[in-house]
Amino acid sequence: MATMSCVLEGNRVKVAPYCVAAFGKAIHALSRIGEELWLDPMVKGLALRSVNSAHSAYTCFLFSPMFFQHYSLGSGSEQGSATIKCKLLMKSVLPLFRGLNSIERNVERSQISISTPSDRVTIQFFCRHGITKTHNLHFQESEALQAEFASHLCPNVLKAPARLLGDMVMHFPVFQEEITLSMMPLSVSFRNYCEAGNDHMKMMYTEMSLHPDEFDYFQVGVDSDITFCLKELRGFLSFAESHSLPVSVHFGATGNPVRFYIKDMVLEATVVLATLMDSEKRGPSQPIGPPHPSSPRCADAAALPAVSYEADGSKPQDIPAVTELITSSQGSPIINPPALMQLLSPVDDPDRLSVSDEACPSATTTPASTMICSLLFRALSSEQDDDGCAARLPVLACHSDAEEDMEEDYRRSPSL
Amino acid sequence: MKFRGKIVDVACLNHFTRVVTTISKLTKTCVLRLTPDNLFFVLSGKVANGGVGMWCELSQANFFDEYQMEGVSPEDNEILLEVTPENLSRALKTVQNAKAVKVKLTKKHCPCLTIAAELPTLSSVSRVVTHDVPVDIVPRRLWHEFKEPIMPDFDVSVYLPPLKTMKSVVDRMKNLSNFLVIEANLNGQMNLKIETDLVSVTTHFKDLGNPPWGDDAASPSRESEAMAEARVDVRRLQQFLVGQQVNPSRAMCNIVHQGVVHLILLHEDVSLQYFIPAVA
Repeated sequence: MATMSCVLEGNRVKVAPYCVAAFGKAIHALSRIGEELWLDPMVKGLALRSVNSAHSAYTCFLFSPMFFQHYSLGSGSEQGSATIKCKLLMKSVLPLFRGLNSIERNVERSQISISTPSDRVTIQFFCRHGITKTHNLHFQESEALQAEFASHLCPNVLKAPARLLGDMVMHFPVFQEEITLSMMPLSVSFRNYCEAGNDHMKMMYTEMSLHPDEFDYFQVGVDSDITFCLKELRGFLSFAESHSLPVSVHFGATGNPVRFYIKDMVLEATVVLATLMDSEKRGPSQPIGPPHPSSPRCADAAALPAVSYEADGSKPQDIPAVTELITSSQGSPIINPPALMQLLSPVDDPDRLSVSDEACPSATTTPASTMICSLLFRALSSEQDDDGCAARLPVLACHSDAEEDMEEDYRRSPSL
Repeated sequence: MKFRGKIVDVACLNHFTRVVTTISKLTKTCVLRLTPDNLFFVLSGKVANGGVGMWCELSQANFFDEYQMEGVSPEDNEILLEVTPENLSRALKTVQNAKAVKVKLTKKHCPCLTIAAELPTLSSVSRVVTHDVPVDIVPRRLWHEFKEPIMPDFDVSVYLPPLKTMKSVVDRMKNLSNFLVIEANLNGQMNLKIETDLVSVTTHFKDLGNPPWGDDAASPSRESEAMAEARVDVRRLQQFLVGQQVNPSRAMCNIVHQGVVHLILLHEDVSLQYFIPAVA
């Protein structure tokens, strides 16, 4: 039997920056991305993940055990890894954290527990006046999709104070779907992106540019214009601003995914977004064979390389038909058919993994019949993977480490 | 045709933004008329608008530090542009903390009013944000449609009650009926009435006062108690009230019996007139 239990401090009891409202704000940010929420309790913390239906946006919030007042993983069976793979519907979870102001005022403590025998996530709010609200959510066993991203290979890096990016996106209307970030040696500019074919004569264009001095860190390796979905990013930026955390942005040439990242002592969060291919280069996708190290087309797609783990690890999970992935969750036709999806090399082909050494971190395309991508954007699990072998499925790798770390387990009863 | 204006004072920018935002709540598109001394936002009372007309006049000197324009020709020294005020409002709202805001007529992918704002930053270099708002140039042959409206020959003129109060009354009435009757008399009384099969509701306002237009306005023999009324689409009235963000110095209503309701708001440097036609 696998269990997990953690307790979050509310705002009223102590003046603590880490509290139920912060967790709730993370849920808000996650809800902007996808309709499902994966809870992944690990020894190194509780990870919350979401992916959009087009697989063009991924986000993960990892709360370390220090974020919680208590954090305990129940012991697994004697066989070993007590992994809980827990998928919830966002629309079941989000309403619980909807009113952040009211949470800050009323909730003294919150407890989240996961229990596999009953397939339930229990979220309890211990509120003022002795009121306890208990929510039981049924979860589905499902391994999370996890995008990895080789940030250390990205030629372009920006680190911006939290407010800077917020100040920039504020100029775009809430309904603006996509924006283009242009990086040049002496400036970074943002402008709204309008698809050709719309009545672009009637569109309002907004543009702003920033001097490198405004950034905490500015590295331009390759001049590039990346166009990504702003809507999916807003929740994340709002979270960063509320915690005053600087945002790191890693990206490469046009069409390559972009990663936004924040980190502090007790949490880290990532959003990886696919970017549009250069519209001039749009055209029929080329069925590319083995990965070519210097292929400029390697970043062909709107879909992220994603890994999906089946319980037995040997059978690749079906990735939805490519045409379904074309339409972004925003409804804008990002890519022309045939799909420029980042088709994924089979897990068991170690040669393909060398593609991660390329300058561009994305996968190359292979014929549609292959399913699982072994080229992972290294995000949270990169610290776990000491031996550098990308073939090891990161999520399971964490859990297999869990046994040594069991001493850290508080072994508290989950019910207080 | 050229136009360049610059606003540096934050209060002027704020005020200008509020005016544009008010206009954006009244109509989706309108004509911006630029003359050497004034700016006008005009909606001509065509049937397509449901006959609603709007005329908003601003004195440019009260808002702009710099203002240069060259009209279509020296004899017709004006520029008329069809614009979506909501775009202008959105662009202006995001740059309220700017050191300076320039408004220019430009030609980008199409004729545009470009709002270029210089924003303060911590570094030595200012940040520039530009918004290109697309506009359509109104050709001279159509200018006659956008002339200042003539004051209608009204039967009664009365000062309006506080707009907030009126708005809350009209908001509730809107739930009950699509049409509302406004009536007023020369005794400073105004009623807002709705009538349906099930219910009729009347709100009475007293002691409002009547503007002293002068002897030639309104028939002198008119009984002070006699009500002049007009039945209007309640949504039009509500639209007018929703947009008002600042209390005007003067707010008046002229009623042409079963003809038109003419609302006039006067602020220090802005005047707004709104015409709602009566329906049968």
